[in-house]
Amino acid sequence: MSVSSEVLGYVVSEESYADKAVIVKEGSVGDWVYVILKGRVKIKKQTSGGLLTIDTLSEGNFVGEMAMLKHSNSKRTAWAVADGPVELGVLDSVRLAQEWESQPPKIKKLISNLIQNIEKSTQKAADMIEASK
Amino acid sequence: MTKTKGKNPPVVTLNYSKGDLIIKEGDYGISIYEIISGKVGIYVESGGTETSVAVLGPGMIVGEMAFIEGNTKPRSASARALEDCCLEVWHPAMLLDAYKKMPDILRLITGQALKLIVRMNKRVVELSLKQGPSKDGQTQELSDQWTEERKCFRKKVSLDCVFRPVNSPKKVKLIGRIRDISKGGLQMTVKTSGLLNYTLASGDELFISTNFTLDQKVNMTAKVARLQKENTGDMISLGMVFTHLDPDDRRRLGFFLMP
Repeated sequence: MSVSSEVLGYVVSEESYADKAVIVKEGSVGDWVYVILKGRVKIKKQTSGGLLTIDTLSEGNFVGEMAMLKHSNSKRTAWAVADGPVELGVLDSVRLAQEWESQPPKIKKLISNLIQNIEKSTQKAADMIEASK
Repeated sequence: MTKTKGKNPPVVTLNYSKGDLIIKEGDYGISIYEIISGKVGIYVESGGTETSVAVLGPGMIVGEMAFIEGNTKPRSASARALEDCCLEVWHPAMLLDAYKKMPDILRLITGQALKLIVRMNKRVVELSLKQGPSKDGQTQELSDQWTEERKCFRKKVSLDCVFRPVNSPKKVKLIGRIRDISKGGLQMTVKTSGLLNYTLASGDELFISTNFTLDQKVNMTAKVARLQKENTGDMISLGMVFTHLDPDDRRRLGFFLMP
């Protein structure tokens, strides 16, 4: 999937990461959102048995969007780690936040609910993988 | 059971009892529900087993995935009342305009989130099937209780219909009027003088055709469960239970019944 020009319009800076470099740390605070311009990013969840890969994202995918769309706190819910060299576009967080905030309450509720459900089912999958070890 | 607040399009609240099915996986439905009170369990079926993928409580939304997918796909999971529940039903028309006007980037992010949750739910189901029924009752065999018909929205209508007993010649066209209809059946009234030489009794099966909208013809097969003479004498009222509906007709009915 390539990055649409619409999305590129939000990119305010670019960052490069080497293989295995940490982009986002689970539990840290931050709500900026990235779009993958080149390369792959692994999303990992902390379990007592170590880090567990739950998803692999590629070009055009977003990283860090969950913290932005939740309305409660902006703690990172998972690790994002470079899988090979990666180039990321940092999205204009002020503009994104404004656009998000200007959505009707029901739309915001619907989407933040979706994000909460992802966290629940990701946690559940992680717990089960751990239990099965 | 229903209460209408505000107007155009109305916000409806529905009450469900413990064990009631709210959404059935595989159905076509477009309503979105917000939980006002009670707990709702989300289940995905695979290989005859239902796996719990989430338990949702007050303030949370049920049924949003079909909306985000543009209502083109059937429900990806079932939702069941784990205790007595009150839900507010949102008609998607309330949200569609706003969703369309949303900046592309927010829609793209939402789309990615949706794909992720579908994949995560699938993973939970695979894992729980591999591990077998767990102690906390995460999975369970489908039983009668879990496959029972969903508690339906019964809609009051006044629809002309034509019908005939299933064993009568195709050209027979008797006239009736449907008074209310749900996913499980309907109630209709018939003028006895219009029955020609036919008599109707409990247990009789009828072919019924009607139009939900001008150009949308729907065929149904239903059995007479209850037969009652109206006070006026010339009218009988038939309580009917569906015995057969084609998938397309079932879908049309689903849309028609949407709160």
